[in-house]
Amino acid sequence: MIYLDNAATSFPKPAAPLRRALETYLRVGASPGRGGYDLAVEAEQMVDGVRRKLCRFFGGNESYRVCFAYNATDALNTLIQGLIEPGCHVVSTRLEHNSVLRPLHHLKQAGLIELDLISINAQGFVEPEALAEALRPDTKFVLVNHASNVLGTVQPVELLAEVCRNKGIPLLLDASQSAGLVPIRLQEWGVAGLAFTGHKSLLAPTGIGGLVISPKIDPKPTRFGGTGVDSQNLSHSLEYPHRLEAGTINLFGILALGECLAYLESPGHQAALDREKYLFVRLREGLSVIKGITIYAAETLDNRLPLLTCNLRDMPARDVADILDGDFGIAVRSGLHCAPLVHQELGTGKNGALRFSLGPFNSGEDIEAALRAMSLIAQK
Amino acid sequence: MILAQESGLVDFGEKHWRLIRFLREFYGYNGRAPLNKQIKEGTGMSILESGDLFPGGLKNGARRLAGLPNPKTCS
Repeated sequence: MIYLDNAATSFPKPAAPLRRALETYLRVGASPGRGGYDLAVEAEQMVDGVRRKLCRFFGGNESYRVCFAYNATDALNTLIQGLIEPGCHVVSTRLEHNSVLRPLHHLKQAGLIELDLISINAQGFVEPEALAEALRPDTKFVLVNHASNVLGTVQPVELLAEVCRNKGIPLLLDASQSAGLVPIRLQEWGVAGLAFTGHKSLLAPTGIGGLVISPKIDPKPTRFGGTGVDSQNLSHSLEYPHRLEAGTINLFGILALGECLAYLESPGHQAALDREKYLFVRLREGLSVIKGITIYAAETLDNRLPLLTCNLRDMPARDVADILDGDFGIAVRSGLHCAPLVHQELGTGKNGALRFSLGPFNSGEDIEAALRAMSLIAQK
Repeated sequence: MILAQESGLVDFGEKHWRLIRFLREFYGYNGRAPLNKQIKEGTGMSILESGDLFPGGLKNGARRLAGLPNPKTCS
């Protein structure tokens, strides 16, 4: 099987880091920070080690302000609900995934926030000028998708952060797609916080993600429970990281994430990322010469992730994906990619589109096979 | 057959029936739609050929005429 759905989750996973994490988990799998015995302390120290790695990886400020979550959706809900105040104004974009759109929509429907969603330009980028126009004195925060899961466009974060900084408004990033592919410098860019997931380009298993929070913001806890500290107090701890972590954390996921972060820095993986970019260019070139294929927002190759969205004539994207899967053993994603407003912008809001997303384990043969398959389907 | 004609199918032949029967039988046994590879194995036809038989393809054509739901996948 040829897997070209890495924007949904990376697959296959690197075996060596996951095996190392499993060995550690089997050896030190006590509840981190929930006891004074050596094993629990050792587990907690390992978790703190991964917090430090993540803080460095994302260019954050303080590792204790790295808070774990189940995934990016979980982290984004924690961030959004922890920051809003009744009646406040929030700005986001039409590029967002439902992990941002739905929490904001529900808050708007409940009358708790006013919401403005900025449009994107024809190339799939948020214009800083459009952001500046949307800001109001009562804007509580701006939340932007760092890299689109539909178009692959990487937003000009430094420019957007400057617009926000001029108005004293925190900029938050959804780094679900970009983490592991695009270097992120939270502090340097002046970003107030970001949400990430482990299972995409960080190559970790599903079920682990988190937040990196700068001292510019202090989201309120919105879930309450055991933290292992200050147990006599019935109010949830306001100290980081417990402030945004309730209940026992995903130790295996955290250990695996830590091992994967080390793997990402290996020369072999860096070479794989370079190959991925080359393969993306080949895919784009190959698809662009097949008659009947429309590629969306990929005129330039600058500031793009290795993913490409297209349609074949008026064939439903779902049918093309089924043919690729059933007849050619190629897994791609069709539909709206949980980002309905981007598809409205593209004019594909009804049937969606077909997305090819590459990963570090794809080869040139994979891409050539996909191009041959698309060419044959286009001839029908 | 009336539904097939209404959907634009003029010639309803053996291959059409083979696919419809397979989809219904599979659903009856398993309570779900078959995977793509199961359609290929069960009908002896490619997905491309199966989809081409029906206006609307497999999803909006064949499964609709078979009176069966589509697989639940994220859109």
